[in-house]
Amino acid sequence: MLWKSLEGKSQLLLFSTRVNRHLRFTSFTIFIFVLLVLPDVAFGVERFPPPQFDDHELPVTTVPEPRRDLYEYLDVAALLAALSLASYLALKKRSRRGVFLLGIFSLLYFGFWRKGCVCSIGATQNIVLALFESGYTAPITVIAFFILPLIFTLFFGRTFCAAVCPLGAIQDVVAIRPIKVPSWLEHALRLLPYIYLSAAVLFAATGSAFIICEYDPFVAFFRRSGSLNMLILGACFLLVGVFVGRPYCRFLCPYGVMLNLVSKASKWHVTITPGECIQCRLCEDSCPFGSIERPTQELRIHNRAEGKKMLAILISLLPLFIALSSWLGVLISPALSRVHATVSLAERVWLEDTGKIEETTDASEAFRRTGRPTEELYNEALTLKKRFTFGGGMFGAFIGLVIGIKLINLSIRRRRMDYEVNRGTCLSCGRCFSYCPIEHVRLKKSS
Amino acid sequence: MNTMNQTEINDKTKDIELTKAWYQAAVRTAIVAGVFSLIVCGLLLTNYFQGRVSDPLNSKELSELKEALLQEPRNDSIKEQIRVLDLELRQEYFRQREFSKWGSYLLLAGIVVFLIGIKFAADYRKKLPIPQAKDEQGHEAHAATMARWSIAALSLVLGSAALVLAIISEVGPTGKFLKFAEKVTALTLEGRDSTVVPVTAEADYPSQEEINKNWPRFRGPGGLGISAYTNVPSSWNGETGAGILWKTPVPLPGENSPVVWKNRVFLTGATEREREVYCFDADSGELLWQRAVENIPSGPLEAPEVMEDTGFAAPTAVTDGRRVYVIFANGDLVCFDFDGNRIWAKNLGLPENVYGHASSLAMFTSFTDDFVLRYRNLLLVLFDQGGAEDDLSKLLALDALSGKIVWQTLRSVPNSWASPIVINTGTRAEIITCANPWVIAYEPTTGKELWRAKCLSGDVAPSPVYSNGMVFATNEYAYLAAIRPDGEGDVTETHIAWRAEDGLPDICSPLSNGEFVFLLASYGILTCYNAQDGSVVWEQDLEASFKSSPSLVGDKVYLMSDEGVMFIVAAEREFKELSRAELGEGVHTSPAFMDGRIYIRGKKNLYCIGNK
Repeated sequence: MLWKSLEGKSQLLLFSTRVNRHLRFTSFTIFIFVLLVLPDVAFGVERFPPPQFDDHELPVTTVPEPRRDLYEYLDVAALLAALSLASYLALKKRSRRGVFLLGIFSLLYFGFWRKGCVCSIGATQNIVLALFESGYTAPITVIAFFILPLIFTLFFGRTFCAAVCPLGAIQDVVAIRPIKVPSWLEHALRLLPYIYLSAAVLFAATGSAFIICEYDPFVAFFRRSGSLNMLILGACFLLVGVFVGRPYCRFLCPYGVMLNLVSKASKWHVTITPGECIQCRLCEDSCPFGSIERPTQELRIHNRAEGKKMLAILISLLPLFIALSSWLGVLISPALSRVHATVSLAERVWLEDTGKIEETTDASEAFRRTGRPTEELYNEALTLKKRFTFGGGMFGAFIGLVIGIKLINLSIRRRRMDYEVNRGTCLSCGRCFSYCPIEHVRLKKSS
Repeated sequence: MNTMNQTEINDKTKDIELTKAWYQAAVRTAIVAGVFSLIVCGLLLTNYFQGRVSDPLNSKELSELKEALLQEPRNDSIKEQIRVLDLELRQEYFRQREFSKWGSYLLLAGIVVFLIGIKFAADYRKKLPIPQAKDEQGHEAHAATMARWSIAALSLVLGSAALVLAIISEVGPTGKFLKFAEKVTALTLEGRDSTVVPVTAEADYPSQEEINKNWPRFRGPGGLGISAYTNVPSSWNGETGAGILWKTPVPLPGENSPVVWKNRVFLTGATEREREVYCFDADSGELLWQRAVENIPSGPLEAPEVMEDTGFAAPTAVTDGRRVYVIFANGDLVCFDFDGNRIWAKNLGLPENVYGHASSLAMFTSFTDDFVLRYRNLLLVLFDQGGAEDDLSKLLALDALSGKIVWQTLRSVPNSWASPIVINTGTRAEIITCANPWVIAYEPTTGKELWRAKCLSGDVAPSPVYSNGMVFATNEYAYLAAIRPDGEGDVTETHIAWRAEDGLPDICSPLSNGEFVFLLASYGILTCYNAQDGSVVWEQDLEASFKSSPSLVGDKVYLMSDEGVMFIVAAEREFKELSRAELGEGVHTSPAFMDGRIYIRGKKNLYCIGNK
């Protein structure tokens, strides 16, 4: 019996290995393609200065025409179609291969063809800027890119992450040997996207910078152009992504924070098993993103008492976390304000005027040519600094709230009878499907 | 059944061996590809660093040739050399890029093969999912505790990082800048027109009493050349050292005079290339600090053309007791605090001045404490240049704290060398300026012209003085004019009380004690006028040449000759030479008089005359 049982399991696993091989072959094809574009990116960075002789005729600079509106709507249509298909493939069809191939399409279309813009992650900043800056209106396509994935997530879970987001797709194709990140580390690192999101909101609201776009690690690949630093950053993410499944999505993506929250309330969501969990435990380590949760066990009475005590302490400490964090946010607000070009320029001009810096910059030279009094610039910088003081306080308060809630969450015990996906963190990629024996029974029946 | 089992076993064995062979092949491929990639990577790095060294933009040889071409713009040989070298550098550059391109492809190919090898090797060694033993009681709670601790630890790290960032920001340039900006904008936020907004900041300007006790500008308080102290020495000898308290060499030359505030003496010095500010200890003569004036934003690259007698540091500095302000012949205007920290700096543009810019700086501080102004501490710069029709000349008033130009008024006058003075007529404050042919008065807070009188001519260098309700302005080939300063518009016909033509000076400024007006011509004629009617009281040839302006100490007039001889004469109705004192070094500057001391800048040294 034991032999037969093991034989059955090994056949099941050999089957899943064959499926995985096909997928990985495709992954590698894409990976090679990505790597092949790297040299072009590197070469695109440098520009050779023109000869300095008077008789040298400089070539006329050509400016490409703006993109037609039609294409913008085509992007929205493609997004809508991709989201629908992804939801169908993940929830109805339960096809990992389908999800993966759609991811390849998204990578090619939204990534390499559309050069990573407009993207839902970056669109967050446009929405924030439109809310805080009366003179700015977010384009309809940007609004659609921001809102559609959230709507689909509300109904179907994070199918956007599974197969539509090009940033997720590029990491998916390089996830060759993902290891499981320890649970304690995973919990800590998942704090970072909240910080990134709140910083992005702060900088967008103050009109300082779109840091999500500026530090998009993969856009240099998509555009085949960019700074060497961004190229290195992207390469590092891909390299880490070989061993840690989707590091950007899990530990940095600010849009993922919103998707995570919305997904928890999703009407439908992918499940590991299409039927009842038989608790075979084969899927236990199948998720490279640490999104499978085990059944819980009964606690002893004294453990429950301790748990309650801990919960009470943490709840009472929550206001302290918020206040302390808010105070820190105010403290670092001068440093944060330097991200704004005006504050940075004002400081630069002051440093130059007081001889603390020897060289001038293009920006400071340009400012001086305007003839504007430096005090006007200083005053503008101070006004911005005040906004940052308030924004920094809010930024800190939000981080404190997140830390507090996370700690409280970890102290609340939820009962689970079966192996389940974590609705917030599960990316609906479908990797776990093939590990479930019930799934294989379903597939056999359907074939 | 056994035979079948044996066949199965044989097949499985063959499969295992085949798998093993594939695994080994994959591992070896990965090793070879990995080593290959490392070698290519090393070569690419070498090529990259070589490329940086031979960057055509930074080629030393090319730069030298370009420099040489600037010296000899028509030298075809240099041009040809540049072309050849430029071409060579470009060819080398593109060769390196080609190398990088193909090297990168090779590297990528190597990495791809390496990864495929690794992937296959991993696949052949794929572990089957074997569930671990079930969690023991309490493991879940332990995991949650670990997670809480990890979040707490990360929060602590982030909090510490935030604190460090806040501290760095506070003590670094950002914090200093924001404090400075807050201070400046607090004073200047509402604009220049509000003249009666209370200033609540601490007194960042001197009181009139403080000013009167010091020697803050060219010719002392008010620019009148009158000492507040009468106990100053009247005899000394530079050769024997008698009466010389100390003597300190001044590093760079300059025609500017010492300004003194309490225990600090300030001078400037400059050559065509260098500009410096000096602060000496007034008691010991020790050079407390010496600051180079350089890297001024938008400062001109070329040096101005100046006359040798004027030099590059003719204008005298001015101090408000908190900061010292200096200007040089190239238009560099800089503010330092008393510790030598540069507070602000700007360049006013290279002045078009035939002899070199020489007008000294002045300051306007309100005369009474209850008369509070938005800008109560203005730095005044008379920046006359070019011809009268060029509209280049101007009078500027800058906020002393920030260097912000509060107002500037264009002047239809040619370049001049006189220094402005600020007078208090009892009813209003006025800035008095002299330039060919006008004496013009301005309202200090707005720069609005109050009145003008046409009484000057030629190259105007002597500065005006104010005494007993009368402005005295003079210049060679013109007049000595006594002007009542209460007029409006052109007062040439209405407010000039008297004019005189004898002994007119070309460089030295006049001196008046209210009773007399003294004129000192550079060729040595000292003329004493009656201040009331302009009649000549007496005239004396001192048989010496002078560039230093006369000063009044009590009832004595101090006159420093070019040779360094101080003539001390009585300010009386009869000429009477009281004494002479020799410094032993030539002097072109005007002395500064303090309590029991005189500070004199010689051609090479700064002297303090006084009792030990």
